[in-house]
Amino acid sequence: MGQMVIRNICLVLIVQVLYFLPGQAQELYVNTEAASNMPAGSMGLRMNTKFYQMEYNKMYSYRIDPEIMLGISKNLMLHLNAYASDMYQSNLKVEGGSMYAKWRFYSADEVHRHFRMAGFGKMALIDNPTALTVNSTYFTPGPNGEQVPHLSSQTYLSDEIDLDGNNSGIQAGAIATQLLHKLAVSCSASLLKRWNNLDAAAQPGQSTVASNYSISAGWLFLPFDYKNFRQTNINLYCELLGSSALDKNANYLDIAPAIQFIFNSISRFDFSYRSQIAGNMDRLSRHAFLVRFEYNFLNLFKPVK
Amino acid sequence: MLLILVSFINSRAQYKKASFQASGLTCSMCSKAIFKALKTLPFAETVQTDLNINEFTVLFRKNSNPDFDLIKTKVEEAGFSIAKFWVWVKVPNLELKPEEHISLFGKNLHLMNIRPQEVEGDMRLQVIDKGYVLKKEFKKYSTFTNMPCYQSGKMSSCCKSIMGPMAASNRIYHVTI
Repeated sequence: MGQMVIRNICLVLIVQVLYFLPGQAQELYVNTEAASNMPAGSMGLRMNTKFYQMEYNKMYSYRIDPEIMLGISKNLMLHLNAYASDMYQSNLKVEGGSMYAKWRFYSADEVHRHFRMAGFGKMALIDNPTALTVNSTYFTPGPNGEQVPHLSSQTYLSDEIDLDGNNSGIQAGAIATQLLHKLAVSCSASLLKRWNNLDAAAQPGQSTVASNYSISAGWLFLPFDYKNFRQTNINLYCELLGSSALDKNANYLDIAPAIQFIFNSISRFDFSYRSQIAGNMDRLSRHAFLVRFEYNFLNLFKPVK
Repeated sequence: MLLILVSFINSRAQYKKASFQASGLTCSMCSKAIFKALKTLPFAETVQTDLNINEFTVLFRKNSNPDFDLIKTKVEEAGFSIAKFWVWVKVPNLELKPEEHISLFGKNLHLMNIRPQEVEGDMRLQVIDKGYVLKKEFKKYSTFTNMPCYQSGKMSSCCKSIMGPMAASNRIYHVTI
């Protein structure tokens, strides 16, 4: 009983703090997409770089991910991505690409609040191994005191279905975003199906279907007073990203705080740190940094009606 | 003939500016997309913004023929919508009555939700057609008239003029003060 009272007081305090925070809501989420679309007739170019701390040796691998975004119409937008990383070998290798489409099907707009829903689909074709094999050499003393080399090979499996460079597959889901005064909250849920990678079949026992979900909150921190388009925006985000395998007992939940700068109302810099806070899923990496540059070409082409 | 032409051009200059509040914006990039779209309007002299309240003002060129529907189209094409839309116009001495249909400087106007009044000089009109107000506002205004022209924005059998012939276009803007 006492615990419930304390919990309720905490909830009220949190709501009060959020309500009286200066600034406005912001929904340009860093690790997920909001139900809103980019301006129609516009094109955005992104360079995403992710640094993954590998579970097997705690060293960092990286992946570069150039991305083209197109606002085809006011309701439809497309993302095209290409991937290259050094995750499965010592040098950088082109891994494949993905296509993402989002259709906004519901909007209830007012000036400072809106509720929107969108459906999305993603398909990735990736040419990576489906298991990470690490070869190493170790030495033992020989009969005459010399060092004798031995080759060792260890294989690491991941149950995570990651369409951003690791796995071929398909994803479909829905997003709901509520912008209410100073807080923008977005939720998404989706189903993922792992396909065989272009040159490697899924490993026996590896999860092939999963449901992903996310909850994101965003807040416009600066400027307090908007005077012109040249003012730099600083936005803060906190996102929870989860996944549950549907064919075995494996799941994870990550937290991903992020900071974002918008320059000249045309370009954007994002920085996020994603880290697992719960779960039992076998994954290649549980901690990653994201660095992103984005430039937008507004009103570039006539949007489809 | 020349006199008629001069009078026509001057009359078009009476609409000074339009201001609107946009909805559905998520960031300053969205605002900039609308701003850039408005700059391409052939009748726009300058475009001003108040980014704190997502308000945009289009000042009309002299002797231009501002097309309010084109402003709305530009906003909608960019993926956003209009929550409120006002037009500033300089009028001669006019007596206005509720539900009256008038032709004012080349535009057909249907006066809704007003009290009878006399006006002169600068006047601010709020356009309340579909797409110029929030959906729930449009529903509210729909209860104020049973004339079908409010739903379509087009002149129909319900429309009658008490100020002589209406403008050639069958587009009728529904406005309030």
